[in-house]
Amino acid sequence: MKSSVKNIAEPLVFFAVLLLLWEFLVRMTDVPDFILPPPRDLYTAFTENLYVITIHSVVTFAEAVGGFALSFILGVGFAISVVYSRHLQNTIYPLIVILYAMPKSALAPLMVIWIGYGMFSKMSIAFLVAFFPIVVNTVVGLKEVEPELLDLARINRASQFDIFTKIRLPNSLPYLFAGVKVALILSVTGAIVAEFVAANQGLGYLIMQALYSLDTALTLVILFILALLSLGLFMAVQVLQRKIAPWSSEVRQVEGSF
Amino acid sequence: MASLITVKDVLKVFRSGEKTIHALDQISFEVDEGSFVSIVGPSGCGKSTLLKIISGLLASNSGTIRVNNHQVDRPLENVGMVFQSPVLLKWRSVLGNIMLPVEFAKLDRDRHLETARSLIQLVGLQGFEEMYPFELSGGMQQRVSLCRSLVTDPQILLMDEPFGALDAMTRDELDLELLRIWEERKKTVLFVTHNIQEAVFLSDYVVVMSARPGRLLKKLRIDLVRPRTLEMLSSSQFGEYTLQIRGMLTSASKIPDAAIGSTT
Ligand SMILES: Nc1ncnc2c1ncn2[C@@H]1O[C@H](COP(=O)(O)OP(=O)(O)OP(=O)(O)O)[C@@H](O)[C@H]1O
Ligand SMILES: [Mg+2]
Repeated sequence: MKSSVKNIAEPLVFFAVLLLLWEFLVRMTDVPDFILPPPRDLYTAFTENLYVITIHSVVTFAEAVGGFALSFILGVGFAISVVYSRHLQNTIYPLIVILYAMPKSALAPLMVIWIGYGMFSKMSIAFLVAFFPIVVNTVVGLKEVEPELLDLARINRASQFDIFTKIRLPNSLPYLFAGVKVALILSVTGAIVAEFVAANQGLGYLIMQALYSLDTALTLVILFILALLSLGLFMAVQVLQRKIAPWSSEVRQVEGSF
Repeated sequence: MASLITVKDVLKVFRSGEKTIHALDQISFEVDEGSFVSIVGPSGCGKSTLLKIISGLLASNSGTIRVNNHQVDRPLENVGMVFQSPVLLKWRSVLGNIMLPVEFAKLDRDRHLETARSLIQLVGLQGFEEMYPFELSGGMQQRVSLCRSLVTDPQILLMDEPFGALDAMTRDELDLELLRIWEERKKTVLFVTHNIQEAVFLSDYVVVMSARPGRLLKKLRIDLVRPRTLEMLSSSQFGEYTLQIRGMLTSASKIPDAAIGSTT
């Protein structure tokens, strides 16, 4: 009990001190506002722009989650086919690896030409950055099955379908969840970068607008919003994992550390 | 008693790239129905390989395995397997894990649920049916694995160092439990271990193997009365058996590699 209070209080105190230090530093050094505004300015920037921030957040959120959802569906499907088809493993998989080695955000300008100026080109970048971690983790999870389990399955004449649904698929869940967490964070990044390139809405667009008018306070506010957005997605997955796969070791570790 | 398993001239060579590993060399022995036979030998002498060949999961290069007078050329159906690690499904409860072979083999669920519950009773896991593997100790997990191997009521039990990873006390406990189950359920057990004492304590016969390439040094009959008790561990007769086996293993390992046979 005592330690749980401490676990909440400690970070709060820490952040309060950090904010004070920030305020203090800005006043001491007389640094111009457009380099580092004091925390008060961030608060005003936040409250004054609440409506605009909300609207653009929704756009970015939709792009990131949309791209992620597509990468999840296609990624898991692709991973399963790769595991079961040697042909795909020999042909498409290397292609995916090459694509992975390519900096995906550098594709953003191309996507504007191919897909257009709107949300779909941002979604496509979010999809591209999220796809690979999903595929790789799922492939590993489906493959890394203890050989003794497969012996057991063979001795008992298990069908391929049973081996898939009762061993491989559940075995891949902890890996898949790890992949999903990475993919979600990356898809937010992907959406933002794509908005930097060409957009008329979204938090990336808003950051560019704020920077044009040297509104550093608003830029910083948006960065914090982005952090919260990613964190929220991450936690949602964590909760989902505890519900679907409470046995996966990672979850147990997290619980054990509190 | 009739011989249930006949191993004849089994030879196994593994080839991986340039290297060839001569794992088993002309192994022959018989296992009577209802008997308890242990296989001992130094690490890497091919015990696990032999068990896999007998189960039909792995093909030998030459030689034959016959079970119930049928030549084994595909995985056996009437065997239960226990491995060194419990290999339980983390996402299934104790009961769910034990029922896995039943689901795989598409057997009648209700009837085997009863079997599963009686096995759980037998190994003293009642009350743990709905627990998950991570909530169990190593010994309990291995008990679950034992139940899983027995749930389809196989004729033969193949056990590959099943208690090797457990502490000595838990191992003694599980050895006794295994003997009780074996006597009660009339199984034929092939038990791999590198613990000589354990082999003598459990078995009717101990098959002693040499270092790689694994050869049969001797099939030693153990004439200790049953049921076996832990007190027997300190009897002179018991000591003689373990000494005899130890002697075979050390004298075999003194022979230089070249004399046993080239490994290339
Ligand atoms: N799939 C394989 N491919 C290549 N070599 C193998 C394979 N399986 C086993 N071997 C080799 O065959 C030999 C016998 O292996 P095996 O696992 O049967 O030994 P073991 O007697 O069970 O050893 P331990 O007591 O350590 O479990 C070893 O040298 C091993 O390296
Ligand atoms: Mg072995």
